[in-house]
Amino acid sequence: MAKEENRIIVEHVYKSFDIYMDKANSLKEKLLFWNRNKKEKREVLKDINLTIKNGEAVGLIGVNGSGKSTLLKLMTKIIYPNKGKITTNGKLTSLLELGAGFHPDFSGRENIYFNASIFGLTKKQIDERLDNIIEFSELGAYIDNPVRTYSSGMYMRLAFAVAINVDADILLVDEVLAVGDQHFQEKCIAKMKELKEQGKTMVFVTHSLGTVKDFCNRAIWLNQGEIQMDGEPEPVIDAYLKATT
Amino acid sequence: MNLVKDLYNYRELLKTNIKKDVGGKYKNSVLGVLWSFINPLLQIAVYALVFQVILKSDIDNYTVYLCCGLIPWQYFSSVVLRGAATIIDNGNIIKKVYFPREILPISVVTSEGVNFLISTIIILGFVIFGGIGLSWNVLWYFLIFAIQFIVSIGVSFIVSSLTVYFRDLQHLLGIFIQLLFYATPIVYAISSVPAGLQWIVKINPMSYLIEGYRAIFYNKTMPDFQELLIALAMGIVLCIIGYFIFKKLEKKFAEEL
Repeated sequence: MAKEENRIIVEHVYKSFDIYMDKANSLKEKLLFWNRNKKEKREVLKDINLTIKNGEAVGLIGVNGSGKSTLLKLMTKIIYPNKGKITTNGKLTSLLELGAGFHPDFSGRENIYFNASIFGLTKKQIDERLDNIIEFSELGAYIDNPVRTYSSGMYMRLAFAVAINVDADILLVDEVLAVGDQHFQEKCIAKMKELKEQGKTMVFVTHSLGTVKDFCNRAIWLNQGEIQMDGEPEPVIDAYLKATT
Repeated sequence: MNLVKDLYNYRELLKTNIKKDVGGKYKNSVLGVLWSFINPLLQIAVYALVFQVILKSDIDNYTVYLCCGLIPWQYFSSVVLRGAATIIDNGNIIKKVYFPREILPISVVTSEGVNFLISTIIILGFVIFGGIGLSWNVLWYFLIFAIQFIVSIGVSFIVSSLTVYFRDLQHLLGIFIQLLFYATPIVYAISSVPAGLQWIVKINPMSYLIEGYRAIFYNKTMPDFQELLIALAMGIVLCIIGYFIFKKLEKKFAEEL
């Protein structure tokens, strides 16, 4: 695959959510309050254009509510833009909130199969990766216990171990390293650096500017749904800090 | 065509999802998979008591007659009720990961189909020990099952996506299914329906399918292929409409949940 291949192309994307003042969810409410169903449109993203190339590690920064997570969700195709187009090339994994797709009554091992298959892996591919995933998660003998008995840290370790081992071309991560102990965080960062060296494309949403500086080679600052600045991490972060403090 | 490609790429998810549904259903109950037998048997007992003993139905071998209709009906009704809940139940996955959403209703229909295959043992048991016996015509079972599968896929696409936007549907469907049960020739014979009401039975694809199952198990004859063709046509129309609705509505699933 050519180095200059575009992994994610975002063209003129607009996204707005309907905010219901008093949402009528049931038939009774819909009939009784048909005229009360006021909604307000809130534009979360306005005319976003960006291209992420193969091998880039991009940090999305911005204050709360600036649209970072929405943009990331649009990239994963969990939600769809109102206008505009998003194209992704290659296999994509996302780690939005942890534990996605775990079935509480099933063991960690069964959940590895379930979760990895959500990312489109076949049984054989999962078999090959199983040992790596279990080792990375450091769950040891707990792997055969039902997931509902796990602590939140164990939960997260398992989710991260799966996401990182599915061999995706693009990894989208939303503020997840905040959980987990120091040791595991370092291990995750090290693993992500390894993936970066392998030429994987990564997009992060984070408030940890240190990580962006240390890890990313591009930073995008979103402000009120628009791209305020896009470029090398250092100048973008400096400008961001200046504007917010 | 995209759907076929997606389903192929995500076949492992489909497989684990079906396994989860089939195995997980009774995972924490003492009797486990035995419930697949106990539940329909108890229902047969209740209906047989009411319609044979109390209302004195004049159909020969009434329990066998009933069972040929009731077991396929249970497949249909679980598809509708579980199908309606499947998108909402899997909300936390839908909000976090992308995968072809169609997998959810399809795996409900398939896992319930597996349960139906298992419960068919009950029909066989009644037919063999109820003094009717088997004929080669039972092999048409797989054809009728395939048509019911197609009808179920169409119906599950519609109910699963609409319920997300209109939560009452889940409760309305419970009542609707009960009404439809009596509008389908399960506890009675189609011939005893007054001519003026026959159309209600005839617009329901399940009527033709149940007549088909009954032909091969209870009457030991070939199914009426013209009727099966009508059911198949209805199934295909339902699938097309259902898929169209599902595709239209799925884009906002994550926001509505």
